[in-house]
Amino acid sequence: MPVIPLLRFAAALLTVILLHALGVWLVPEFARSIDLFLVLTVIYALGGDTMVGLLVGLVAGLTNDVLTGSLFALHGFVDTLVGYGMARLAQRLVIDRVSGAFLVTGVASALQQVLLAGLVLLLLPQPELPEPVWIAIRAAGTGMAAAAVLLASRNLRTNLAERRQRKAQRLHLD
Amino acid sequence: MNERRTAWFLVAALAGQLLMLSIQAPAAEDGGGSNFLESSMLRGVAPLTRGVSSLMESVRGFGDDWKGREEMAAENQALRQRVEEMELEVMRLSELETEVERLAEAMDYSRASGRGLRVADVVYADHSSWFRTLLLYVGERPASLNQPVISDDGLVGRVVEVVPHYAKVQLITDRAAAVGAMIRRTRRQGVVRSGPRGLELAFLPQQADVRVGDRVVTSGIDGIYPRGLPVGIVTSVERGQELFYDITLEPAVDFGVLDQLYLLEDTTPGPAGGGGGDAPPADGSGDGARNGAAGGAADSAAGSAGGDSADGSADSAADSSGARP
Repeated sequence: MPVIPLLRFAAALLTVILLHALGVWLVPEFARSIDLFLVLTVIYALGGDTMVGLLVGLVAGLTNDVLTGSLFALHGFVDTLVGYGMARLAQRLVIDRVSGAFLVTGVASALQQVLLAGLVLLLLPQPELPEPVWIAIRAAGTGMAAAAVLLASRNLRTNLAERRQRKAQRLHLD
Repeated sequence: MNERRTAWFLVAALAGQLLMLSIQAPAAEDGGGSNFLESSMLRGVAPLTRGVSSLMESVRGFGDDWKGREEMAAENQALRQRVEEMELEVMRLSELETEVERLAEAMDYSRASGRGLRVADVVYADHSSWFRTLLLYVGERPASLNQPVISDDGLVGRVVEVVPHYAKVQLITDRAAAVGAMIRRTRRQGVVRSGPRGLELAFLPQQADVRVGDRVVTSGIDGIYPRGLPVGIVTSVERGQELFYDITLEPAVDFGVLDQLYLLEDTTPGPAGGGGGDAPPADGSGDGARNGAAGGAADSAAGSAGGDSADGSADSAADSSGARP
């Protein structure tokens, strides 16, 4: 088992938990509007490795379940499916643009909520279903969050590469 | 081959989780079946949410401190004065309590239950999303399953998951929650649950006398919540399709501003959290003597919701019938 990617994932999950808790503390509607756990799942799944996609979906979903009041493993089940599905999609589709990431994550979020609603309908006698407008808001919010993370990581990578290049040039001149 | 192995793993992961879900689903009405994995993960996640909550509280506290030192000093002065007044009131009430106890003893009268309050901090509250949650930091002494949770204004929910130092609460606005309740004015009983239109009072027959503005309190028949905790106020009464009214309630508690709650503890010997004894009174004033120290403490917590003194006093008399000789 590779240690560095595992540590990186643990750090990412920790960040997501902290950001989620902070978001809910600051804005009561945060959890209703953005699913950071799904953002993490989709970003990892977009790498195209199905095993990574489903494992990240499983862990992120179960962590989300701890912070929700419904049945445990509800998000775990759905996020596992979504993570796997997104990884399969990424194997066939190159999603390079930020707008692409927004679209894919938005669709993944809508799909996740529909699957959750289906499961809840199957399992609970008197289920509460989300309003369509909130499904759309959450899909858009989650999509935007994924696009923002992708954009930020790309900028960071570019900046680091440039700095490394500049450093290398300076060494070369000396 | 690798993809095939992944597909098998996917099937196994999904099947395992589906099994876990199907085991919990029948128990959902009773607060759901807790499992080792959830408890373990909650142990890891809850301290993080508490960390964020504490950090934000201290940031807010620092800001407030910076802004209004003078305001706070004046407020502190006023509060000190209020504490002194209240201490005098407590002394007067404890005198009354002693007197009542002496009289009760003379009449061979025993109290149905004693209830104490324990403060718990809200470390994570998501009341708005589809799946509502509340995480409490309860301190060293663990909470117990099904322990009622109240705020200053009324009933919040009950404990459904317990790990060291933390407890997960099922809110009364959760779809899986149901509370035995009654109209305080008429004592007519029904069940409060969350429906498409918000909090509803169900199973009230159309012959019942119910009006907009009626206060709804717990009835104690569910064996979880004690009698008399404020649940909400009737906001609409419509004739339903069957024999019952369609009644909607405005919750007594504003779930958006919860930061400190109280765990209602059974101070009588026996299993904690259960029993359908009497609640600390919902009425605002004058009940401390009747309900003793535990009730008196709860008065200040759950009492403020019962504002209408006229009907409150009438109900106080009815409430006391719960304490059986």
